[in-house]
Amino acid sequence: MRFLPSRRREGLTTLLLLLPGFAVFFGLFVYPFIITIIQSLRPEGETTGWTLEYYGSFLSSAHGQQVIGLTFFLAIATTLLSVLLSVPLALILRRKIRGHRFFRAVPLIPLVIPGLIGALGLLLVFGSRGWFNLFLRDVLPFIHGPVAVDYTITGLTLFYVWLYFPYTLLTTLSTLEGLDPGIEEAAQVSGANPWKVLRHVVLPLIMPGILSGSVLTFMNAFGAFSIPLVAGGNYRPLSVDVYKQIQLFVPAHWSQACSIAVIMGVMQVAFLTFYMRVLRGRKVR
Amino acid sequence: MSEWMIELKGTTKRYGMLLANDHIDLRIPRGELLTLLGPSGCGKTTAMRCITGHQRPDEGRVLIDGRDVTDLPTHKRDLGMVFQNFALFPHMTVYENVDFPLMIRSLPHEERRQRVTDALRLVRMDELADRYPRQLSGGQQQRVGLARALVYRPSVLLLDEPLSNLDAKLREEMRFEIKELVTQLHMTAVYVTHDQGEALALSDRVAVMKAGRIQQIGTPREIFEQPNSLFVADFIGLSDFIKARVEAVETKSVWVAVKGLRVRVQTEALLRVGQEVTLFIRPTRVDLLEQGAPAGENVFAARVLKLTYLGDNIDYRVVLPGDWEIRVQTNGQQYIPAGSSIKVRLPAKFCHIIAE
Amino acid sequence: MVKTYTRGLWNGRLILSYTLLVCLSIVIFSPFVVIIVKSFGKGWFGKLWLPPTLTLDWYKWAVNVARLPEVMKNTIIVVAMAVAMSTIVGIFSGWAFGRRHIPGKEVLMSMILLPRMIPPITYALGIARIFYGLNLVNTHFGIALAHVTLCAPYAILVMSATFEGLDERMLEAASVCGANPLRTFFHVTLPQIMPGILSSMIFTFTTSYNEFTLTLMTYGPDTLTLPIRTYLAVGEGYWEVTSAMSVIMVLPSLLILFLIQRQVKPEQLVGGFKGL
Repeated sequence: MRFLPSRRREGLTTLLLLLPGFAVFFGLFVYPFIITIIQSLRPEGETTGWTLEYYGSFLSSAHGQQVIGLTFFLAIATTLLSVLLSVPLALILRRKIRGHRFFRAVPLIPLVIPGLIGALGLLLVFGSRGWFNLFLRDVLPFIHGPVAVDYTITGLTLFYVWLYFPYTLLTTLSTLEGLDPGIEEAAQVSGANPWKVLRHVVLPLIMPGILSGSVLTFMNAFGAFSIPLVAGGNYRPLSVDVYKQIQLFVPAHWSQACSIAVIMGVMQVAFLTFYMRVLRGRKVR
Repeated sequence: MSEWMIELKGTTKRYGMLLANDHIDLRIPRGELLTLLGPSGCGKTTAMRCITGHQRPDEGRVLIDGRDVTDLPTHKRDLGMVFQNFALFPHMTVYENVDFPLMIRSLPHEERRQRVTDALRLVRMDELADRYPRQLSGGQQQRVGLARALVYRPSVLLLDEPLSNLDAKLREEMRFEIKELVTQLHMTAVYVTHDQGEALALSDRVAVMKAGRIQQIGTPREIFEQPNSLFVADFIGLSDFIKARVEAVETKSVWVAVKGLRVRVQTEALLRVGQEVTLFIRPTRVDLLEQGAPAGENVFAARVLKLTYLGDNIDYRVVLPGDWEIRVQTNGQQYIPAGSSIKVRLPAKFCHIIAE
Repeated sequence: MVKTYTRGLWNGRLILSYTLLVCLSIVIFSPFVVIIVKSFGKGWFGKLWLPPTLTLDWYKWAVNVARLPEVMKNTIIVVAMAVAMSTIVGIFSGWAFGRRHIPGKEVLMSMILLPRMIPPITYALGIARIFYGLNLVNTHFGIALAHVTLCAPYAILVMSATFEGLDERMLEAASVCGANPLRTFFHVTLPQIMPGILSSMIFTFTTSYNEFTLTLMTYGPDTLTLPIRTYLAVGEGYWEVTSAMSVIMVLPSLLILFLIQRQVKPEQLVGGFKGL
């Protein structure tokens, strides 16, 4: 290598440095994905031949459409609720009130635990014999209980929000804190009361932060696997449906599973691309 | 209608152990442009923020046009404010920025359009009404800030170091524009700056602050010619200080001894013989005379130690008998090389006594 | 900071804020508390706020019957391998991205994040097939490799930011002061990049330790990890044992969170999506 001109040598070194990363990316992501796609097009159990029947049957069946609808519903509901929760929280957390360090660390907790355990705990708390219902029974007896959230869509959405709202909260908070305080002061001096400042100045300016955080929440909610597996009951979003195809059937329905997986991946990418377009459009403004 | 447009009555503000404002008393009449001048940390920004309402004084009251506004939130005080870093709304155009206060007040559309256009025309930004702040230069942004502050015709305009983020030449131009606008619109204005040149050029009165207190208030001339303390004398303009002792007291003047030389000072201060004071004179007020010039009151022999050529001025260090070094500044017309023997005159009317 | 003066209004807002924060904290903490309580409780079947008797039986069960120590050993081996591999990949790629000229760098960097953006289940199937063929299923190395897919992007992101932030002028100053490249590396470069390396290791540790989906597709009876074992326990129906296992499992993560919560900036945890 010493005999190569130095620019060539530079380029070669860079390539070598990037090699492990590329190996991981292509070997552990792209190639498996391709395998998944190929498998999705093969008849079950065969090694040759092409067919689209699994795509067709899934997309046209009532079951398939229901599953897709459920996945989107959960993801969108989670994202909306996360935004509704995150904005007020961010506005509160940016002031240095007593104990703000502690309260800022609290939303970090769902990020560092596996969804499985979060789901477990939430099932225990909000189950028909859990503390939440005990609370209703003892403290607010006028609410007819018990309120059962286990294995319902409401419960599932609640669990999703619990796990994934921190993404939205953290980006919103950091955008909020990055705002020039002079701008809010200027708005006040111009005569705007706190609500008007919020509506006309603060919210428009933190919108990019809210949006980028909500993308993360959406993505996680869309692809969530362990929680619906454990707490979804009869409600199976796409990810669980994939797994069931392999788990419940002997021999496993690999091709069907792969086709659902590909559909899921495509939808995720499509949504992301659309969302990024919207975000970029906003930026140009 | 009150006699004073803005009043601070004994306002005090503490940040933990730090006393940012120490019982400030300030009265600003209608139509005056008063500057709060001082080094960083002197409390001038805190005092302004008490007027705007962004800070609440721990003690004392704030009055605007005779009304006690100490408990009134900022958005109800009807003030105009221009910020150091402009604080324009980045997500709104120039037009929308200036329209914002009117939109908040729910004025009818036609009137809003008229007023915004007028305001923009006043600051000569009407052509750029559709631009966004990030597309504007610093000077342009500051003019938009001015327009936004003036469009709802507040009676008071506050300016918090508005020119600090602009380059030197622009600063001078904008200084003039601001003064013109404020005079033209008969506004009362409070200006905060650490730049004494700006303060002297713009203000009707200057309040020099140090460590939370107002050291001296007066017209630029009073502050410059008759500083009441070493701090003010040193902060404004160039100064020569030297310790002196009062030797004789007359009706309107005083004789002091400095290193064996007798200097007459025109002053009405009450001093006693034997009192230790500080004599001070501005380097630009010292006269340089030829060696052969006739002797006279406050005329002393001197020798030029060194000089620095500054273009418009020449800065001399001269030494008088008794090792008394004085700094003298003249216009560039007189060039006296180092080592020359000359005479200097310290005119009595330009000498000052500071007794502290 | 802006204050409103009408004291009543200010206090009202403060009370509301604290109420919201306290409710949030309760909702966040209660699942953990209930799991902890459940793991020590005997005969707790609802209708009561607390279990009637306390016991260590479930922990004993976890250790003896569910063979938790072995599971933990598996977990540690897998995580160690995954962190090591990811960190190495991260350092190499990060150095390239952070300090070298690469055409289309931004596009490449967004591509690197794809494995985290696409639901893992989608390519987990492919990984499973490949590993079957290569006999990598049910091996520690295999599971660790699968984890690297998820961990490496994080590591690359953190390390490229770290290396980008390395000020060349500092290195120049060191050599002017007389330090040869090796000494410069140890005394100047290493201390500078150590926080980045630690940060990357912590994130990859957390990711790999908690990873469930990919592990599910590549594990076997010899290589049970904590998340998988806990999941299986749910299937077995013993909520108390599951709780005990969960408590043991979450402890390290919460400990790490407690230790780093002061240093960490919120954006870092959500993995560099600020530019989105």
